[in-house]
Amino acid sequence: MIERMRRNAELTLLLMAAGVTIGAYTLASLGSTASVPANIGPFLGLILVLFAVAHIAVRRLAPAADGTLLPLAGLLNGIGYVFIARLEEDLAGLQSLWTAVGIGAFVATLLIVRRPRDLERYRYIALFGGVALVMMPLLPVVGLSVNGARIWINVGPINFQPGEFAKLALAVFFAAYLVEKRELLALASWPRARPVLPDPKHLGPVLVAWGVAIVVIVAERDLGTALLFFALFIVLLWVATGRVGYLAVGFGLFGSAALVSWQLFSHVQTRVDDWLNPWAPNPSIATYEPRGFQVAQGWYALSDGGVGGRGLGLGVSDENLPEAQNDFIFAVIGEELGLLGTTAVIVAFLLIIGSGLRIAARQDGSFEKLLATGLTTLIGVQAFIILAGVTRLLPLTGVALPFVSYGGSSLLANYVLLGLLVRLSDDAHQRGERRARRPGAVPVGAR
Amino acid sequence: MGMDKQIRRLGIALVMCFVALFAQLNYVQFFGAERVNNRPDNRRQEQRDFSRPRGQILSADDTVLARSVAERSRFKFRRLYPEGDLFGPVTGFYSFTLGSSGVERVYSGELAGATPELRFANLSDLFVDRENVGNVHLTLRTDVQRIAREQLGDREGTVVALDPRTGAIDALWSNPTFDPGPLSTNTQGSTDLKEALDVNPEKPLLLRAYRETFFPGSTFKVVTASSAVERDRVSEQQPVYPVLDSFDIDFTDRNLRNFGGESCGGTLYDVLRVSCNSGFAQMGIDLGPGPSVEGAEAFGFNDTPPIDLPNPAESRFPTEFPEDQGNGPLARASIGQGDVSSTPLQMALVAAGIANGGSVMTPHVMDRVTNEADETVRTYEAEEWRRAMSPETADVVRRGMIEVAVNGTAEGLLIDGMEVGGKTGTAQLGTDPPRSHAWIIGFAGPPGQPATVAVAVLVEGQEGASEQTGGRVAAPIARAVMQAVLDSRGPDGGG
Repeated sequence: MIERMRRNAELTLLLMAAGVTIGAYTLASLGSTASVPANIGPFLGLILVLFAVAHIAVRRLAPAADGTLLPLAGLLNGIGYVFIARLEEDLAGLQSLWTAVGIGAFVATLLIVRRPRDLERYRYIALFGGVALVMMPLLPVVGLSVNGARIWINVGPINFQPGEFAKLALAVFFAAYLVEKRELLALASWPRARPVLPDPKHLGPVLVAWGVAIVVIVAERDLGTALLFFALFIVLLWVATGRVGYLAVGFGLFGSAALVSWQLFSHVQTRVDDWLNPWAPNPSIATYEPRGFQVAQGWYALSDGGVGGRGLGLGVSDENLPEAQNDFIFAVIGEELGLLGTTAVIVAFLLIIGSGLRIAARQDGSFEKLLATGLTTLIGVQAFIILAGVTRLLPLTGVALPFVSYGGSSLLANYVLLGLLVRLSDDAHQRGERRARRPGAVPVGAR
Repeated sequence: MGMDKQIRRLGIALVMCFVALFAQLNYVQFFGAERVNNRPDNRRQEQRDFSRPRGQILSADDTVLARSVAERSRFKFRRLYPEGDLFGPVTGFYSFTLGSSGVERVYSGELAGATPELRFANLSDLFVDRENVGNVHLTLRTDVQRIAREQLGDREGTVVALDPRTGAIDALWSNPTFDPGPLSTNTQGSTDLKEALDVNPEKPLLLRAYRETFFPGSTFKVVTASSAVERDRVSEQQPVYPVLDSFDIDFTDRNLRNFGGESCGGTLYDVLRVSCNSGFAQMGIDLGPGPSVEGAEAFGFNDTPPIDLPNPAESRFPTEFPEDQGNGPLARASIGQGDVSSTPLQMALVAAGIANGGSVMTPHVMDRVTNEADETVRTYEAEEWRRAMSPETADVVRRGMIEVAVNGTAEGLLIDGMEVGGKTGTAQLGTDPPRSHAWIIGFAGPPGQPATVAVAVLVEGQEGASEQTGGRVAAPIARAVMQAVLDSRGPDGGG
């Protein structure tokens, strides 16, 4: 009963997301070239097929799952695609290909991961896999440095960012590790003499996570991903143990690392300076371009949009805003759809976070609970990091906006993440159903 | 110990993060948007404007002064100025790299079609994105402007002609000047040219007619006369100023001499006719500092005129006359020397105010804005800028200026069959050999009717320093320009 309701709601929402995407695509084309796009038919077909495949997969493989996650991701993906197609026509084909691959990965995740609990067994594979993925860009031949950040690897025709996949592996590992150690970490007596700091031996994993973050900052120059990994770990540590001290120590450590790297590394200083005053004149080039050109242009795009936006396809960011289709796609959304559009995107992410945390709360098993929390944290914090950077709430640290930015690795990883959340949601519901059918029985792991 | 409490708190924390984002977005996109949009390095509005056609600027006799042509470059259009330098500083240039000036700048919204009245002529315009640029029609006439250019020739100087009844400017010419076309190409060449013009000591980019001030010399005496008559210190009969060859200045042997060392004096009209320094110095001293300042400010001194061109200069009349400096500063100011300085436009407004019953109208160059269908969407509403004096006072001074034209130093202004008034000025530059700025201000109109044209002409740095210089050098130019304006007005005064 509930299954059918949820699936029908999902179908309705997916159709609405498809409608919004098609409408936006048409309007963007009308706005920039004053004509209905020539490929509107195939485009419509492609979207409907992709959404239908994902929907049928959920119906078959996870019928009791939350019905909002897939439509929200589809909506964000669709809006992102419209803007990418409008900004860089050449990239549109690739992005649609990656979307198809992402949907495929989503279905494959549902097919392969039938019971989330099984993932717990692969914790050390996940750990080594995750660390290996983080380190891969540092390898001599395949590693690739783009715009100063060494976060790419290049194999044959394909470039990808292994960090996007590492975050999934690390989420699985952290969840499994903390389930094993949480009693110890939580119950270990904290010395009374210094109640703020836990016993040093329990700080080991914190220090490991900190070390990974440092490697990412120093060797790969990727502040955003470092922050994301570290936030993931500290949040899970805190959720698992309930010890606020870990939060304080964790962010204290990250803060001091950030401070030290700010003093040591010019690229960190640049980020902070650009954040505080993007309009300062650029000392290295003799033009009137301000130093924080990209950050300033992002702000100009947002303010230019105002409340209602300039209209799809009617902005001028394609001429002004570097990397508009990647890190700054949100600024272009703000320019062409205004405060209304940016608010819609923010609300979509909040709804995903809400669904994700609700799924976490519904889990019986500690591992599933932590995994769902971790995956939701990844999406929420990653979105926040880049949105805060674009809006100048925080220094800009380039990460992709999940589902919206251009990029295959990001899209693929986030669809796998979505598949895991959907699987977790379905699993919790199925267990609840089974428990309801066996009154008096206490399920394992419930408390 | 469950984890749900932490998960709930995590949810709250993430919501707080996004609320902060939302607050920041509200600032950038709404509350602070205007400030961000107006940052000097934010070129988005201009960029949009440069990818769209732009309306024409036309003269009052429908000559196209500026128009857009399509071009295959980063910007889809560029501006052409078919009249070259004739209206250069008035239309201004329009360049993405160099900015804009003149009418291009002040009426940019109208030319781009960005004003509400151009955008939404009717309801369907809300939904259709048609090109709705506006054409700006100026009050300036090509024929009058040409005559001003011909008459001034190679000499440096300025000609301003306007309608005293409305403030509509008929001609605004300064030499040297510039051709806005080469500055509007958005190329490196235009940048180089602009840099060269910027450092040119003769400042050709500066329309000195309203952006630079000069000693007004004796033309200012009509301001002193107006102040004195308005405050009942002087009438046509009283007082009679003693005949002197100079005015005695405190604490110095360098007294204020009359031109050529001649002796002069008499009633108001007597001293006006020969531009008698000693008489007007005495008049200013009798009037005193306060009323003198008030009188000058009533004409618009010590304020920038609200003309619809960018960056008008403020004409100055000193406001402080320290007692320990004696009568010198006020005596000199009363005859347009010392610390008095004026734009040619301001002196034209002085003549216009006197001719228009004491009311100084707001000077303007825009006549009306039309849309693509040639319908007028906006007309310049003439309005008073300053009430310089009562109509009675204005009439006294006006007749005095007619006397100057008929029997005095401004004879060169006279036009057959017209009532003409004027006042010459020669602002000595204290150089050796003596050089001076030759001035004339005046007005003209059909007899017995309000004057339909007022004029100010300044020819800079002329040889000689006699009071005749203004009449000899500047009057023929002013006469020709007034004649041209009167011709264009037609027999009924037009307007």
